[in-house]
Amino acid sequence: MNTVIDAHNVSKVYNRETVPVYAINNVHLHIEKGEFAALVGPSGSGKTTLLNLIGGLDKPDTGSVFINELDITKLSANKLIDFRLKNIGFVFQSFNLIPVLTAKENVELIMQLQGIEKSVRDVRVQQLFRQIEMSDKMDVRPAQLSGGQQQRVAVARALASRPKFVLADEPTANLDSKSAFNLLDIMTKLNKEEHITFLFSTHDQRVIERARRIITLVDGRIVSDTAAVSTRHEKADV
Amino acid sequence: MIFIMAWRNIWRNKMRSIIIMSSIAIGLFAGISVLALYKGMMKSRIRNVIDSEVGHLQIHNIDFKKDYDPQFILANGAEVLKSVRDIPEVKLAASRSITMGMLATPTGSAGVQINGISPDLEYQLSQLEKKIIQGKPFDPKKKNEIMVGRKLAQKMKLKLRSKLVLTFTDTSGNMVSGAFRVNAIYQSDNAPLDEKNIYVGIGELNTLLGIQNAFHEIVILLKRDADVKKVQQQLQQKFPACQIESWKEISPETDLLVKTVDQYSYIIMFIIMFSLAFGIVNTMLMAILERTREIGMMVALGTNHVRIFLMIFLETIFLTLGGMPVGLFIAWLATAYFNKHGLDLSGMGREMMSSFGFGTMIYPEFPTDKVIGVLLIVAGTAFVSCLLPAIKALKLRPVEALRR
Repeated sequence: MNTVIDAHNVSKVYNRETVPVYAINNVHLHIEKGEFAALVGPSGSGKTTLLNLIGGLDKPDTGSVFINELDITKLSANKLIDFRLKNIGFVFQSFNLIPVLTAKENVELIMQLQGIEKSVRDVRVQQLFRQIEMSDKMDVRPAQLSGGQQQRVAVARALASRPKFVLADEPTANLDSKSAFNLLDIMTKLNKEEHITFLFSTHDQRVIERARRIITLVDGRIVSDTAAVSTRHEKADV
Repeated sequence: MIFIMAWRNIWRNKMRSIIIMSSIAIGLFAGISVLALYKGMMKSRIRNVIDSEVGHLQIHNIDFKKDYDPQFILANGAEVLKSVRDIPEVKLAASRSITMGMLATPTGSAGVQINGISPDLEYQLSQLEKKIIQGKPFDPKKKNEIMVGRKLAQKMKLKLRSKLVLTFTDTSGNMVSGAFRVNAIYQSDNAPLDEKNIYVGIGELNTLLGIQNAFHEIVILLKRDADVKKVQQQLQQKFPACQIESWKEISPETDLLVKTVDQYSYIIMFIIMFSLAFGIVNTMLMAILERTREIGMMVALGTNHVRIFLMIFLETIFLTLGGMPVGLFIAWLATAYFNKHGLDLSGMGREMMSSFGFGTMIYPEFPTDKVIGVLLIVAGTAFVSCLLPAIKALKLRPVEALRR
């Protein structure tokens, strides 16, 4: 397997001048291609901060984050934006679609930013909407979609640029059970069939059950990193 | 896509966008209307100067205007006048005898410019007959008639048939006097000139001056304003010993006024747009504030700073340009109406208007020549207005914006 994410000795400290608070404390993390890993832990344990550091949205105070062997902590702000565009897919907690664009345009935007031709974009968008089973909702604005549907579009958007991996921050936090399972089905299917690497933060038991690797954070430290003993979808596979 | 997003973004809060677009339309309407009014006023002032004050061109003895000494008559005046009338571009040319003198009545005296005119030609040249508010034009059968301006008549308590005495020096330097009777009181759109200029028959003045059939001035009216320079050069070549001046040289204050008002017009437009810029900046800042998380998310997904700036710039441009056609159209409509029917400013006071040489009826004209300049000011306003909101947006760190 290839290492996609390699975080070395990463720390993030807030209030350094007054009372230092270690949001992330000396974390080492390796994620291989095709993993479906969950970052779990109580609120304030540093899950979102770690995802932000891995996603290049924030810089660590110490340590390095390598994505495909490139140290992204050394990149300038502009290069990081370009790097994120080409290499990382994001799914945020609240639905975060651009409300003035249709579902299709939201997905297409990323590809357009990448400079992909219209004909190629159209084929890819059709394919992604088939995968998230929303081909009939392509021309609908986010406000007319349910929360679950919006999150599925967000997943399609995250995959549009064919990223090295997808970071999802509490993707099911605002969804009802049916929508959450539906979203997880799509994510696990994409992971299994297209070997897309997923790293998501969650404290949702439904998501944890589907993860093949569970990394537990407490007070900014990884306290356990284990392959899941049994998961729902593995059970289903059996 | 950025273009589409910017366009749709401005309609997220319809009421707010419509209000700002309306204010831009109103501001533009106000600005263009002021420009149209100024253009109408300036055009009317220039027409007054040319058609009823100084004509397009004037010819004098080269020394005459230094001191208005009556001895400096126009040499070979009759020949010059004939040559002028032969120029195809010339519509009308008339001679005048001029001297400075003292007007005396039983109640007082005043310094005046005495113009000896050929009434029939002068009526066509300077519309003098149309300016008469009391009395009758010169009667060829009567002698020693004089036409005075309303302002001078008021000052000197002159009425129709009032008798007055004009005293001045003749060409030999001797003091001469002549008694005249007021046959008409005139009023033009230029009160200071009315107070200074009096008109008598050229024959009577020449007799007193002792210059017989000579004269001091030829006033020329052309068929087209555009030919002034051409005819001036032509005359200058033909009569190098004469002083040939265009209306701009004779009345430099009018030319200066036109140029100054042109600059003022742009300043007024700039002030209007500057005030509106605050509204635009405020609207855009609110829009950015409301979309902090969304913009942060866009940056997180890989939208670079150039694209974010472009989106905000386009939104500002759309807001600004949205109101522009409406403002321009209303201004054009209003200008077209008042250009046809006239705008009566007599409420502002005829005295005040005429003291600056303006009539009270103004025919505003759409400032087509200034529209490009106005559009540039509006575009500049949009650009400047977008800077602060754009900088605010560009400073957003996605990790902080996404937390909101």
